[in-house]
Amino acid sequence: MAEYWYFNEAFAEEASSYFLERPEPVIVMDFTIGERDFVNAGNASSQIKMALKRLGVDHDILRRIAIASYEAEINETAHARGGEITGNIYPEFVVIKFYDKGPGMKDIEQSMVPGFSTADEQVREMGFGAGLGLPNIKKNVDVLHIDSEEGGRTLLEFMIFFRKKS
Amino acid sequence: MDKEKKYFHALQVKTEKCVACMKCVRVCPTQALRIRNGKVALDEDRCIDCGRCLSACQFGALLPWSDKLDIIKNKKYKVAVLSSSYAGQFSEHISYATAKKALLQIGFDEVIEESMVTELFGMMLHKYLQNSPEIRPVLSSSCPAVVRLIQVRFPSLLPNLLHLESPRSIVAMYYRQKLIKEKKLAAEDIGIYLIVPCIAQVTAVHQPEGKFSNLEDGAISIQNVFGEALEVLKQAVQDKRPMDIHTRGLGWAISRNAASDLEENKIKTLSVCGIPNVIEVLLKIENQQIDHYDYIVLDSCTVGCVGGVLNIENPFIAASRIRHIMNKEEAASFESQEILDMFEKGKFGVEQLEGRSIMKLSSDIKSALEKMKRIHQINAELPGLDCSACGSPTCITLAEDIVEGKSTIEDCVVLLRKKMRPKNNTK
Ligand SMILES: Nc1ncnc2c1ncn2[C@@H]1O[C@H](COP(=O)(O)OP(=O)(O)OP(=O)(O)O)[C@@H](O)[C@H]1O
Ligand SMILES: [Mg+2]
Repeated sequence: MAEYWYFNEAFAEEASSYFLERPEPVIVMDFTIGERDFVNAGNASSQIKMALKRLGVDHDILRRIAIASYEAEINETAHARGGEITGNIYPEFVVIKFYDKGPGMKDIEQSMVPGFSTADEQVREMGFGAGLGLPNIKKNVDVLHIDSEEGGRTLLEFMIFFRKKS
Repeated sequence: MDKEKKYFHALQVKTEKCVACMKCVRVCPTQALRIRNGKVALDEDRCIDCGRCLSACQFGALLPWSDKLDIIKNKKYKVAVLSSSYAGQFSEHISYATAKKALLQIGFDEVIEESMVTELFGMMLHKYLQNSPEIRPVLSSSCPAVVRLIQVRFPSLLPNLLHLESPRSIVAMYYRQKLIKEKKLAAEDIGIYLIVPCIAQVTAVHQPEGKFSNLEDGAISIQNVFGEALEVLKQAVQDKRPMDIHTRGLGWAISRNAASDLEENKIKTLSVCGIPNVIEVLLKIENQQIDHYDYIVLDSCTVGCVGGVLNIENPFIAASRIRHIMNKEEAASFESQEILDMFEKGKFGVEQLEGRSIMKLSSDIKSALEKMKRIHQINAELPGLDCSACGSPTCITLAEDIVEGKSTIEDCVVLLRKKMRPKNNTK
């Protein structure tokens, strides 16, 4: 199993202890994603975002969450055979998990390179496939964790804090 | 301020007529309506005056409100400013000039049109976009229901709103000055009245957002002048006074036409109409999941202003007639350096608009989270049918209403029925 971790320095300490303990979230939102279901792709992200908006999360942070979760949701629809999305909401931050049904990534580091894409014809016709999704996720999150290997399932999860970087 | 009267709305609620059919509750895009104790109740903070409930109600419990024609008697010199959709209300054998003259017959001294300034408006918009390159897309602010929708549901997009008066208000401002200067009229003798296609414009006149002063003296619905205009059509046909018509800009009553006009000015424009579409596009803009546009025209009604609830004619027919008028009838041109000067001096600028967010469950995240947890717990018990028989539009809104102490779980008819049936009854 190959793993990839990225931590935003400002939150690294707090975030590491979270990933060690994995405390119970206050609110859990679960969604199922269908393979190649481009019509509904984005719904889970929208609903998580709506919930966070109602909690009063700051606009700019909300936007970062929306961008990152939308990109990950599209990847789960376009590159994998669908799967699940779980939004875990805590008082200080949100952790969103995207767990798909495979086929996994050959090389996570390579997938992270801007411009790298294995998107097929259909995906490109939908307007995706520039190879910018994962880099864009990284840019917007405070922690990014990917666990994947070729032929297996991919778990992508990220964490975003509700307060601004100090 | 009395909380109940904080926001003016151009609709009348006649609870005695309400039969609790739930239709209005279901169509409201901001969940502003509930049925409580068998009668409709409006949440003034949430209502955006889109008028969808008015079309839904068949029992006369929700009615539009606008100024009556006789308010023009209060002023010595009366000017009607026509919404472009007015031109689409009359059958094709009545010329647009005649339709305008009919308003002279029923008591106006002058009849002018918002369509006069659409070309100038395009030029001003062009400058506005040049002056604020950091804000994209800029969102049109002509539809007051959209402006209020953004205030209540998308406050993060408020800076994107075009902070410029709408064409109809620009016409009203300009004309008032002109009459004072050229006709030597006293300001208090002049009455400028919008002839409007929707309740949102009525509300905008009576409770303007971001304006420094009230620009118009009233908003009379197309429905309120139409009958009287028909009665005097014969006189209007015989009226030999000249009457300019500004047909080019009439197309702005049709959503996509405004966009194609602006594209000629090299402004990359998208036009969107109908509240569900507008909401979907605003969500995409909020998430930055939309192609690059300089300007997005957003209209709350189907097809555009011709779809407003205070029109007479079906929106598609009205749109077709307007296109016909634009093709057939000769257009007067209207140029005014004065309007452009007024623009340069910032006369049409509006104050930064403020949000009226209905979204936040609480003032801090922690207590909002606790509330949301309870809402989710209650929602999990509810049947999820969104039948609205409880008087709230959906199960999740009922759950919210319960947490807010406005409803109880006993309001759920489906749960109640289940409880009343013995548990292991296999029959
Ligand atoms: N869930 C996934 N399962 C398998 N492979 C994935 C998954 N997500 C991403 N990849 C791989 O990583 C590559 C890069 O992903 P990224 O999101 O950066 O670009 P893209 O989806 O190809 O294009 P874009 O996101 O710009 O539309 C993909 O082309 C794909 O090969
Ligand atoms: Mg992608």
